Amino acid sequence: MEKRNNKKVIIKISDLSKSFNNNFVLKNINFQLLEGESLAIIGASGSGKSVLLKNIIGILQPDKGSIVINDTEMVNLSRNLKEKLLLDLGITFQHGALFDSLKNWENIIFKTANKEKINNKQGKQLAFSIIKQLGLQPEILDLYPSEISGGMQKRVAIARAICGNPKILLFDEPTSGLDPVTGSLIDELIKTAVKTVGGSAITITHDMASVCRIADKVILIDKQTISWTGTPKEMFNSRNKKIQEFVKPINSEIFFK
Amino acid sequence: MWWLTLLDLFLEILGTTGKKFINFVASIGHFFIFFGSALYWVFKPPWYFKKIFQQILDIGYFSLPVVGLTTFFSGMVLALQTYNGFTDFNSESTVARIVLASITRELGPVLTGLMVAGRIGAKMAAEIATMRVTEQIDALGTLGTRPMQYLIAPKIIASFVCIPLLVLIGNTIGILGGYIIAIYKLNFNPSLYLYATMEYLQLIDIIQGTVKAAVFGLIISMVSCYFGYNASKGAEGVGFATTSSVVISSVMILTSTYIITALFFG
Repeated sequence: MEKRNNKKVIIKISDLSKSFNNNFVLKNINFQLLEGESLAIIGASGSGKSVLLKNIIGILQPDKGSIVINDTEMVNLSRNLKEKLLLDLGITFQHGALFDSLKNWENIIFKTANKEKINNKQGKQLAFSIIKQLGLQPEILDLYPSEISGGMQKRVAIARAICGNPKILLFDEPTSGLDPVTGSLIDELIKTAVKTVGGSAITITHDMASVCRIADKVILIDKQTISWTGTPKEMFNSRNKKIQEFVKPINSEIFFK
Repeated sequence: MWWLTLLDLFLEILGTTGKKFINFVASIGHFFIFFGSALYWVFKPPWYFKKIFQQILDIGYFSLPVVGLTTFFSGMVLALQTYNGFTDFNSESTVARIVLASITRELGPVLTGLMVAGRIGAKMAAEIATMRVTEQIDALGTLGTRPMQYLIAPKIIASFVCIPLLVLIGNTIGILGGYIIAIYKLNFNPSLYLYATMEYLQLIDIIQGTVKAAVFGLIISMVSCYFGYNASKGAEGVGFATTSSVVISSVMILTSTYIITALFFG
């Protein structure tokens, strides 16, 4: 296992490029996610953050470059092995992507129920143990995703991602559309998930308050490439104009006093 | 030079036509790759029996009213029309024979196929297309489940099993419709009519109708799932997938019914 600063390298992206109809969205992206690290990826809308995430989980195939997860090269990996590897990941999609033909509790335990035999009672108990950490009421378990609010759907999607305690968590805009109280609740949960399980997380977000709360390291994607890397504290002293635009509305003292 | 402009226009038309033709051939190839892959997952365990049962209920049970009504009235219309056209002949046996042959050989399977294509094909395409554009299919892949096995295979299995059964039930109801008109409106002798029906009932007609229905089941499920699975561009893509699945399934049903009839009786 490759190590850096005595920490395992969980995800290593090297020279990754991706284009659609000859228009590059990502060019020569390089970064690493270390064990126990929480990485936030920021950037303007349409800068390719979600495309990067979809490349990492194998939904999109990069034009060139390498994606190594737990020492396994993902690019051109057989479908079987890729699926096995993905079972160790907890993923939330930008718009939740909950299965609308299944009840919320069935959505939450979907992966666990595929791996092991689990009856309805056990399944509901497992789902309940997760949603109570997310400030959701047990009544929503027996409802369908279309019967709950957008914010609740987001939290159910997060519950689905963290069910089974995966060691690698990938969140695409987990706090968008949530009120500030619920947003900070989700941030706490991401922090707890990373610290207690010894996991690692990549969070794509526009929410700079959330970045300050959860991230150990921040990456800015601008003009198809990584234009800045640093810690949340370093963002506030950065001379990078794009970073300055992002942190301008944030009062750093609230987060780093 | 006017002829240069004309040449440019000609080349542009040729280029556009060529591109469309290549896209058309590529999409046919793409469909057959999907067809092969879907068939592979139909036979590959594990099978999601709960999903298969849900589909059987939806395709088989809930399509019964619409199929029953359609074939019932078709049988009634057939009996009336045949009687009007064949009043000079031995009406009991002629009407019974024509109603029986038309329903079992052609109208039963084709009308059932078209009704199911409209009701179930559209639903399948819209459901899968919505899942595609809302990233649910992508999410399935990341949760240790194969979308082809979980979503597509149960629909194909259920369609292949249910549509032949629907056709058999539809045929019976259609013949019953003809019987009701013959007895209560045309005042035929019930025993003679039933005797004529049973006399002309051929096993080959039932086999042919069942084969057609099974083929229609494959066509409806494959075409609908294909358009749904490859949907894009949000709500517009869902609409396109739904319309295309119904239109293409209906055209393929009418084309294949000729081919199967020609194979059996040609």
